[in-house]
Amino acid sequence: MLEVADRRPAVPDRRLAIEEAAAKVIADPANSRIAAGLLAEEIAEEAAGHGVRTFSESVAATHAAGLVQDSLAAFVGAHAAELDALVSPEADSRFEYFGLRTVHDRYLLRHPETRAVLERPQHFLLRVACGLSETVAEAAELYGLMSTLSYLPSSPTLFNAGARRPQLSSCFLLDSPRDELESIYDRYGQVARLSKYAGGIGISWTRVRSRGSLIRGTNGHSNGIVPWLRTLDSSVAAVNQGGRRKGAACVYLETWHADVEEFLELRDNTGEDARRTHNLNLANWVPDEFMRRVEADEVWSLFDPKEVPDLTDLYGDAFTTAYRAYEAAGRYIRQIPARTLYGRMMRTLAQTGNGWMTFKDAANRTSNQTGRPGNVIHLSNLCTEILEVTSDGETAVCNLGSINLAAHLSGDGMDWPKLARTVRTAVRFLDRTIDLGFYPTPEAEAANRRWRPIGLGVMGLADVFFTLRLPFDSPEALALSTRVAEEIALAAYDTSAGLAAERGRHPSYDETRAAGGVLHPDHYAAASSERWEAVRAKIAANGLRNSLMVAIAPTATIASIAGCYECIEPQVSNVFKRETLSGEFLQVNRYLVADLQARGLWTQRMRDDIKRADGSIQDVPGIPAELRTLYRTAWELPQKALVDLAAARQPYIDQSQSLNLFMASPTIGKLSSMYAYAWKKGLKTTYYLRSRPATRIAQTTVTTGTVTTVTTGTVTSAPADAVACSLENPETCEACQ
Amino acid sequence: MLLDPGMDLTLRPMRYPDFYERYRAAIRNTWTVEEVDLHTDLADLARMTPQERHLINRLVAFFATGDSIVANNLVLNLYQHVNAPEARLYLSRQLFEEAVHVQFYLTLLDTYLPDPDERVKAFAAVEHIPSIRDKAEFCFRWIDSINGLRRLETADERRQFLLNLICFAACIEGLFFYGAFAYVYWFRSRGLLSGLATGTNWVFRDESMHMEFAFSVVETVRAEEPSLFDDELGKQVTRMIEEAVEAELAFARDLCGDGMPGMSVEQMRDYLQYVADQRLVRLGLPQRYGTANPFGFMELQDVQELANFFERRVSAYQVAVEGNVTFDETF
Repeated sequence: MLEVADRRPAVPDRRLAIEEAAAKVIADPANSRIAAGLLAEEIAEEAAGHGVRTFSESVAATHAAGLVQDSLAAFVGAHAAELDALVSPEADSRFEYFGLRTVHDRYLLRHPETRAVLERPQHFLLRVACGLSETVAEAAELYGLMSTLSYLPSSPTLFNAGARRPQLSSCFLLDSPRDELESIYDRYGQVARLSKYAGGIGISWTRVRSRGSLIRGTNGHSNGIVPWLRTLDSSVAAVNQGGRRKGAACVYLETWHADVEEFLELRDNTGEDARRTHNLNLANWVPDEFMRRVEADEVWSLFDPKEVPDLTDLYGDAFTTAYRAYEAAGRYIRQIPARTLYGRMMRTLAQTGNGWMTFKDAANRTSNQTGRPGNVIHLSNLCTEILEVTSDGETAVCNLGSINLAAHLSGDGMDWPKLARTVRTAVRFLDRTIDLGFYPTPEAEAANRRWRPIGLGVMGLADVFFTLRLPFDSPEALALSTRVAEEIALAAYDTSAGLAAERGRHPSYDETRAAGGVLHPDHYAAASSERWEAVRAKIAANGLRNSLMVAIAPTATIASIAGCYECIEPQVSNVFKRETLSGEFLQVNRYLVADLQARGLWTQRMRDDIKRADGSIQDVPGIPAELRTLYRTAWELPQKALVDLAAARQPYIDQSQSLNLFMASPTIGKLSSMYAYAWKKGLKTTYYLRSRPATRIAQTTVTTGTVTTVTTGTVTSAPADAVACSLENPETCEACQ
Repeated sequence: MLLDPGMDLTLRPMRYPDFYERYRAAIRNTWTVEEVDLHTDLADLARMTPQERHLINRLVAFFATGDSIVANNLVLNLYQHVNAPEARLYLSRQLFEEAVHVQFYLTLLDTYLPDPDERVKAFAAVEHIPSIRDKAEFCFRWIDSINGLRRLETADERRQFLLNLICFAACIEGLFFYGAFAYVYWFRSRGLLSGLATGTNWVFRDESMHMEFAFSVVETVRAEEPSLFDDELGKQVTRMIEEAVEAELAFARDLCGDGMPGMSVEQMRDYLQYVADQRLVRLGLPQRYGTANPFGFMELQDVQELANFFERRVSAYQVAVEGNVTFDETF
C-alpha cells in the first residue's frame, strides 16, 4: 500500500521516520500505529541508556534520581519479580501515536540532568498503580485497567503518584476572599501554592466590595474587583506547574455583584489593557431569580457585597426573599434591565468563549453536601464539573478519573458487567488518593478529609456512538447515554457504601442529604427501581465513604492517551490537528475512514474535499447519507441535542458536567435561547461556548484545480451560517483530566 | 470600473459587496499583540544549536522590516488606484493589520534579542545581509515601478498597476511570507517556539486574507477589462514569480546552510515551487514547476485546531456579535 509509510525506512534518522509516518495519518490512520511503534522503540532505547529495561530497574533509577518516594521503592524492591511479570509487553501497541507522544513528552519521569526518560510507558502506568496500592494484587488490578486504556486517573495523579510530593488532586475550589486586604493577599498565596502542584483553580470573588464602596480605614473609595483580579492574573501566569504546564484559574462572580459588567469585559481584547486579564477564565454564578427576571423582562438590582454580605451564603427561596427585601429597602447600587445584562453575558460568551453560565440554585438544591444551612456551594471549578461546598476555612478538592467507554463495548452494545467492575475499582482507588495525597494548603486537606468527594467521569462517548452507529441526536443515543450514567452512579454508590462499612463513613456524613435518606436522583423525576432501592438500603445501613462521586471532566489529555474522543463531546471535525506543548498532531476520524475505505472511497480527492470543507463531510460528493448523518461535527449537530443529553444524565451526575456548546457564528438571539433552555432543563453548569474565527489561513496543501474551483480562503460571500473557516480554537481544560 | 481614476464615495448602491464583506470579516478577527505569550520561547532558544539559532536570527531580521514594506506599498501605490469606497475600507483595515504585524515582530525582536546592539543590527539587515537585502530590493523595485503613476489612464498603466498588485500578493505576502512561516511551523512541529507560532498563526490568517483580497481585485478587473490580461501579462507574472522564488531560495541557502533534519535547501526549493505554482493557478496561469509539497507539517496548517489552554493561549473568537435577547430561536 503506497500510502502507508515504510516500516523500515531508508532514512537513517528514526525521528524523521516517525514524523513522516505521523504526517501521513490522514492518508491512512494505520500510520499512527506505525509511528507509535517506532516511538516505542526510541523510548526503550532512551531508557536503556540509563540501564532501564525492567519495571524494577526503572523504579530503582527514578528513586536513585530522587524522583519517587522511599516507600514506593521499598514496595517495588520487595516484590520486584512479581511486579516485573505484570508488565504487559503488547500493551504499548494499544497506543495511537499522539497518545504515546504525549506520554513520552509529558508523563514519563526523566533524569534531572540528562533529561532522558527513566521509564517506559508501561513502567509509568505500573508505577502509578503501585503508588496507589497496598498489595501486588491491587496494583495488578489497577494496572490492568490502565494498560488496556479502560480507565485512567486524572493528569495530576498520573504526574505525581508515587512521587516525592504526591499532589494527586485535579481541582481546587476556593471561597471568595473576605472583604479585607489581608484575606485577599492570603488567597493569592493559596492559589499559588495549589497551582504549583498541577491543580486547576476555581475561586469566587463575590464577597469583595464593588467599585466606589467606602473604605473606612482610609476614608477612600474602592476601585472594585478588577485591580485585584489583575494581580491574580499575573500571579497565575507566574506559577508554572513544574515546567509541565502553565497555571490556570477561573474566577466566579455572582450576577448581583455591582462590578459584574466590568467583570464581563476582563477577557476582551479591546479597551484599556490595565482592566483586562488575559490568563483568567471567567464564570457567572447565576441565581434563578435572575433568569426568571430575564424571562419576564424585569429589572435587576446590583449590590455592593459589603452592604449585603449574606446574599452569597443563601440560595433558593431564602436568597430570593433576602434579595427582594434588600431591593425593596433601596440598598442597591444600580438597576438595569435583566435582559440587558443577560445580553452582555451572551456577548461575552460569543466574543471570548468565556463567562461560563453556571447555575447557583440548581447546584445547591440537588447537592448531597448542602443538607444543612451554612453548607453552601459558592462556585464551580476551572472546568465546571465540580460542585462542592466551600468556606473561609475549607477549600474544596476533587480527585478525578475517567472511564474509557470505548473500551467497554462488546458485540453490538455496552458490556454492562465490565463497566460496573471498572467503576468499583475506580471508586476504590479514587477514595485511596484522598489519603495518599499531599495537600499544598491546610484548608484543602481539611475539606478533603471531611467530605472525601471524588469525581468519576467518562470519555469516549462519541466512539461508542460511532461504533454503534447512533447519531448524537437520536433517541437511542439519549437512552444509552442516560443508562451509562445510571449504571455508573449505581455501582459507584454501592461501592462507596461498601467502603463505608469497611473503612468508615466520611466524617461529615451526618450533614449530608444522604444521611436523611435523599439521594441525588431523588431530586429529579427519575423513576426508582429495585436496584436503587437496594443501594438505598445499603447506604441507610452503612452510610457513604464519599459525599460526592460522579463528575464529567473534559479529559483532554487522558483521552489523547487513551486514543478516544473527549468525555461526552461530539467530534469537532473529521480531520483536525491537536496543538500541545509537544507540537502539532494530525487527527482523523478513523471510524469514518474505515467506512469510506470499506466502500473504496478514501481517495486523495476525498481527503482534499474534506480538508477543504474544514473536516465536514456534509457537502462532499459521493458519501452515503447514513454516514453523513452519523459523522456530523459538533458544529453541525443541533446544540439542543447536547443539552438534552446532558439534562437526561443529570440525575445520575451528583456533581456536574463540563458541557461545551458549539456555534460557528453565534448571535445574541441564538445564545440567549440556548442558555435559557439549558437553565430550564435543570443543567447545573455549562462550559465554553465555542465559536470559529471569522477569517482563516489559506490552505497550502490542498491540491487546487483551475481558478474556477478554488474556494480556499474565500469566506466572505458565504452566508453567515456556512462560513467556511478554520477553527483555531477550542480551548479545553486539562486540570480535570 | 474599479481602476478608473477618481474618488468614488458612493456606498449605496454598493458595487462590490464582496469587498465590504471581507472588511467586516477582518474586523471580526481582531487580535492584539498583548494576547501572544512569547515567554516559553526563551527556554527553547537557549536549547537551540548554533545553526538553528542562526536561522532564527535571520528570520527575525527579515520579519523586522517585511510588513513595513508591505504597508508602505499599500499607502503609496494601492490605495489611490483602487477606486471603490468599499475596497478602500478593506485596504484601511489591512493597513491596520500590517501595523499590528509590525508591532508583533518588534515585540518578538525585543524579546528574542535582549542586546540593544543586536536589535539595531536586525533592522539594518535590510541593507547589510545580502539574502535579506536582495528580497527588499525586489520589493523596492516593484514599489518604484509605479511610483510615478498618478492616474491609471491607459491599458499599459493598468497592467503596470496589476503587476504591482500581483507582486505584493503573490510574491511578497504569498511567497516570501509563506516561506518564512514554513520555518516557524517546522520549529513548531518539533514542539519549539510555540509563542512565535501562535502569533504567526494570526499573522498568517491575516496575510491569507490580504492575498485573497488582492486576487479578488484582480478577478474583478479581469471581468471588467478582459483585454488587459494578454499573454504578455501572463509571461511577466510568471517571470516575476520565478524571480521571487530565486530570491527566496537565496534566503533559504543563507538560513539552512547544509541543512538540518527535516529542513534543507532542497526541500525549501520544492516547497517554494509548489507554493508558486499555486499562485499561478490561482491567477489562471499554467503551473511553472509541477513540484509536490515536501513539508508534511504544512498539512497541519490546513485543518482545524484543538488547543489546550493550559498549554497555549488560544483566541479564535469573534468580535462584533449581533442580535437581541430572544428565547425562541433554534440552536
